[in-house]
Amino acid sequence: MDRKKETFGAAGGILKPIFEGHMPPMGLIPGSLLDGLARFSSFRGHLLRLTNIERLVTTLRHREPDHIPCCPMLYGASRRLAGVSYPDFALKPDATAESLLAGFELIGGETFAPAIDLSIEAADFGQQMVYPDNSTPHPDYAHPLVKDVSDYRRLKRIELKEAHRMQAMLETCRILVRRIGFKGAVSGFAFSPLGVLSMMRGAEHLFRDCVNYPSEVMAALQTITDVLIPYVEAQCDTGVIGVTLDTLFASWSGLSKELWEKIEGPFVKEIAGAIRRKGYIVAVHNCGHGPYFDSQIQFMEPSVITFAELPDDCSTPKELKRRYGDQVVLMGYVSTPLLSYGTPYEVMQECSKQIEDLADGGGFILAPGCEFPPNGPLENAMAIVKAAQLYG
Amino acid sequence: MKELRGKGVLLNNLEEAVWKHSNKITGETLDEALNAGIAPDDIRHALLQGFEHVRRRLMSNEVSIPDMLLCIDRVTEGLNSISGGKATEEGIPLVIGVVEGDPHDLGKNIIARIYKTYGYRVFDLGRDVPGKLFVKGVQENKANVLALSAMMSTTMVEMREIIQEVKVKSPGTAIIVGGAPVDETLARSWGADGYAETAVTVLEETQAAIGRVREGIPW
Repeated sequence: MDRKKETFGAAGGILKPIFEGHMPPMGLIPGSLLDGLARFSSFRGHLLRLTNIERLVTTLRHREPDHIPCCPMLYGASRRLAGVSYPDFALKPDATAESLLAGFELIGGETFAPAIDLSIEAADFGQQMVYPDNSTPHPDYAHPLVKDVSDYRRLKRIELKEAHRMQAMLETCRILVRRIGFKGAVSGFAFSPLGVLSMMRGAEHLFRDCVNYPSEVMAALQTITDVLIPYVEAQCDTGVIGVTLDTLFASWSGLSKELWEKIEGPFVKEIAGAIRRKGYIVAVHNCGHGPYFDSQIQFMEPSVITFAELPDDCSTPKELKRRYGDQVVLMGYVSTPLLSYGTPYEVMQECSKQIEDLADGGGFILAPGCEFPPNGPLENAMAIVKAAQLYG
Repeated sequence: MKELRGKGVLLNNLEEAVWKHSNKITGETLDEALNAGIAPDDIRHALLQGFEHVRRRLMSNEVSIPDMLLCIDRVTEGLNSISGGKATEEGIPLVIGVVEGDPHDLGKNIIARIYKTYGYRVFDLGRDVPGKLFVKGVQENKANVLALSAMMSTTMVEMREIIQEVKVKSPGTAIIVGGAPVDETLARSWGADGYAETAVTVLEETQAAIGRVREGIPW
């Protein structure tokens, strides 16, 4: 009886989104069925052009589609296509969605996330913010919410329904899922607990505190995690394909591997588990130097890792593919300086190299290593899409 | 002989306390060394050796940024202790700051303290610094080095204008740039004299940039 209920429940979980006109949670679809579909699409891709969703699903199941999918990560930059100011892009869901849709429709790609800025969660905890006219919103670091070590335990859990910026993010996801339908895949996005805390304490103090006062830091991380779990679950409920967690500090740019595993590992494990339990894809974004792929895979079991630099234990892209290519879908990693100041043709040449190194056998999504430069030349975003179609 | 061995042990302990970034032990060992009448220059050398140890280990990724930060804390405390907190009037004058619009100063703070530790006379302009203040800061302090940091692609564009203006108004100043969205190619194309990829390499890069400017050798 229970098994019947489970089967009907899963079937309902798959069919309802389809009837609503968007992607169902892939985790609810039996793996063998997805693999069969991916194999069929891979074969079909030799003869015909696949749809964006077919291309993406084939890639996510580590099969080669007609050409590799891409994600130009056109977030802040997309506001320029829709004539939206940066503060409006950050704060008004209609404006955010309109901008991202403009990016998706004008530039292209198969998937994207409304990664508006990294301060959404911190702002809702009460961190004072700065919303510049032409740059990414950021905390007012002169007035950190966590002023000293004793403030870690004073951090109060907030209710999701009263969290204005997180609610705006959820509304943006709803609009995007409704408008995109089966034309592409929208991913949710959240900063990891340590990332959120860095926005409220400042990275320099936080780094010291992680070594000197780990239990105080972890008390705050628990409070943040208790808020992030319902937040990512609510993102899943909007119909996104999965949720991307930004884990910047799991890299040489952050903590040592050992310290990260102790301080943040258990919390991101909880969050990733919550996403997976709902049947959604867990993706990890880490644009630090030498990201710790092994630790992040151990704690979060992501399906996708998006990266800007080679992991700490790989010295070449080919080694990265060999070591991790069958464990996760790799997504990256065109550099920010090249996208900011290179010519479109230089961008395409770099993409071509990366495709050659990483696309063989499927499981690769071409993308910038980090958000496309918000004020960067948009023709370079188009070059990424073109390169994926041409060389992928 | 016994006295010499005691001195050596104390200095070794101090060096070790620095790279293990122990607040308590560094303070105690430092007091002990000062009470034993060890020359400030020897103490300074031991502190720097401890820091050098961490810098080398950071280079091979055996330690992380928090270790480096805490280690710099210990060295700074030690150096302040032997100088009585008096700012040095010696050393190569160097202006450092984060460009306008950018509030991220972790990298700049680390680099500024490394420069101070290694004897540069540092004029730290802070973060979100308008370009004209860099130009003025270099002129007023007769800086041999200007170190610019940007952590956002939206703000790094400021660097190019600052470099151009400083090159005209203070041509003898070596300009070194760093930050997440910057790379060596960009630094070269903007006319900088050096690029510091990380805190680990900044000292060598700066020395090389100073040498290039002094000798008039293009980068």
